[in-house]
Amino acid sequence: MTDVVARGLTKTFGRVTAVRDMSFTAPAGTITGFLGPNGSGKTTTLRMALGLVQPTGGDVLIGGVPYARLAHPRRRVGALLEATGFHPGRRARDHLRVLAAAERIPDRRVDEVLGQVDLAEAAGRRVRGFSLGMRQRLGIAAALLGDPEVLLLDEPVNGLDPAGIAWLRGLLRRLAAEGRTILLASHLLGEIAQTADHVLIVSSGQLRFAGPLREIGETNEALESAFLDLT
Amino acid sequence: MPRALTTEFRKLATVRSPWLLLALGPLTVVAGISGLVASGGNVHDPALPGKAFAHVGLAAIFTLVFGILAVAGEYSRGTITDTFLSFPGRRSVITAKLAACGAVGAAAGLVSAGTALVVTAAWWSAKGGTFHLSAADTWRTLGGGVAANVAFAAIGVGVGALVRNLAAAVTAALAWVAVVEGILGQLIGSGLARWLPFSASESLDRASLTSSSGLLSRGLLAQWDGGLVMLGYTVAFAAAAVLITLKRDVT
Ligand SMILES: Nc1ncnc2c1ncn2[C@@H]1O[C@H](COP(=O)(O)OP(=O)(O)O)[C@@H](O)[C@H]1O
Ligand SMILES: [Mg+2]
Repeated sequence: MTDVVARGLTKTFGRVTAVRDMSFTAPAGTITGFLGPNGSGKTTTLRMALGLVQPTGGDVLIGGVPYARLAHPRRRVGALLEATGFHPGRRARDHLRVLAAAERIPDRRVDEVLGQVDLAEAAGRRVRGFSLGMRQRLGIAAALLGDPEVLLLDEPVNGLDPAGIAWLRGLLRRLAAEGRTILLASHLLGEIAQTADHVLIVSSGQLRFAGPLREIGETNEALESAFLDLT
Repeated sequence: MPRALTTEFRKLATVRSPWLLLALGPLTVVAGISGLVASGGNVHDPALPGKAFAHVGLAAIFTLVFGILAVAGEYSRGTITDTFLSFPGRRSVITAKLAACGAVGAAAGLVSAGTALVVTAAWWSAKGGTFHLSAADTWRTLGGGVAANVAFAAIGVGVGALVRNLAAAVTAALAWVAVVEGILGQLIGSGLARWLPFSASESLDRASLTSSSGLLSRGLLAQWDGGLVMLGYTVAFAAAAVLITLKRDVT
């Protein structure tokens, strides 16, 4: 079982403190919602967890090890990040084949995840022509590619249509039920209320609440009033 | 093959733009040699083939931009995030890019060299001149030109890692070659200027502008010295690329 554990995580960019002394655990087998207003430090936290941003203090361990020291990172951790880009001239299937080469993942698996995110028919098209929602699906396919036991997702419903949002919710529930660890960052209360088991609420880079969703109320309204009180 | 290198080759194999860029190398060679002859070059002048073959080194400007594109292009488009997620150690990413771009630079240089031979042979036979393939200078000039293509591809990787903004990196590199090095050279005098990168590469790929004494008289280094200086720049840029890449936040 692979927990994601942050310990005293801090990041300053010049005079801005993006994340301040944050400690939490996202346990295996659950969906942990990471909720906070824009600019509250969610993306920075996920990027530190993935070794993309060097913390000013503290660390994040994935199954006891920092991401940068995992032997096969894509097979252990899948990530969807906000600013991840695509080469506009590369075909969707080739985008995934590039990532697959890093772990010698066979093309068969590439086609499997393309089917899973409903992009099988667009697989041969260049990403240039993709809508925001299609790019988001391709990003999700990339996260799933290595069949990882941990998923770190940053605003994953961006650009998805209602059917896509419902599909993603079902997928995440199924993956968590298989014992995987899912950390889902979002500024959307409704998404967290409908999807998460645990919640972390942050504002201004600081953790304001950590615990089961039911402790602060599972309805949208209850979560909203708790959120507004805390942030 | 190391996984990072497979990844880099697969990246190159799945897009068109870098190949269109590299195709400009042989096209430049064709246009340059044809211009040399058409503008009144005398095919009976024994120095003319060397001037023709020196265009291979000129094509290195495109392998320079190719190398820049391989790194700064990833930062500009945001694909660098996925690349570092695959290889969080990062060092292997830069070394794989150096190797892949160096190999492609060598291939591009060889294609340009072959093109130069064919085009020169065609013009010379059309104009009734003769040139000797066996002349040692022919192979030294072409070999130097190929080496310049490799070195500039690797230097491009370094420039792209140092200046992550694609437009800024390409502009800075081209401005250096076209303007800055010339002005700087005048300020510091030709004794020092011949150690600057573009001048050093000129001595590398213009060996047949007669012997090394001929090069020296034009204010250039001897070919082997030029090669060593280029090797030094390549290693320096590669090392700087690795060091800066290991530290930087990708936000
Ligand atoms: N590279 C950076 N340089 C300077 N400030 C940054 C950088 N990245 C993030 N920040 C700042 O850190 C804070 C947290 O940002 P972010 O983690 O993106 O929040 P969220 O994802 O919750 O919207 C914001 O104030 C943002 O402006
Ligand atoms: Mg964010």
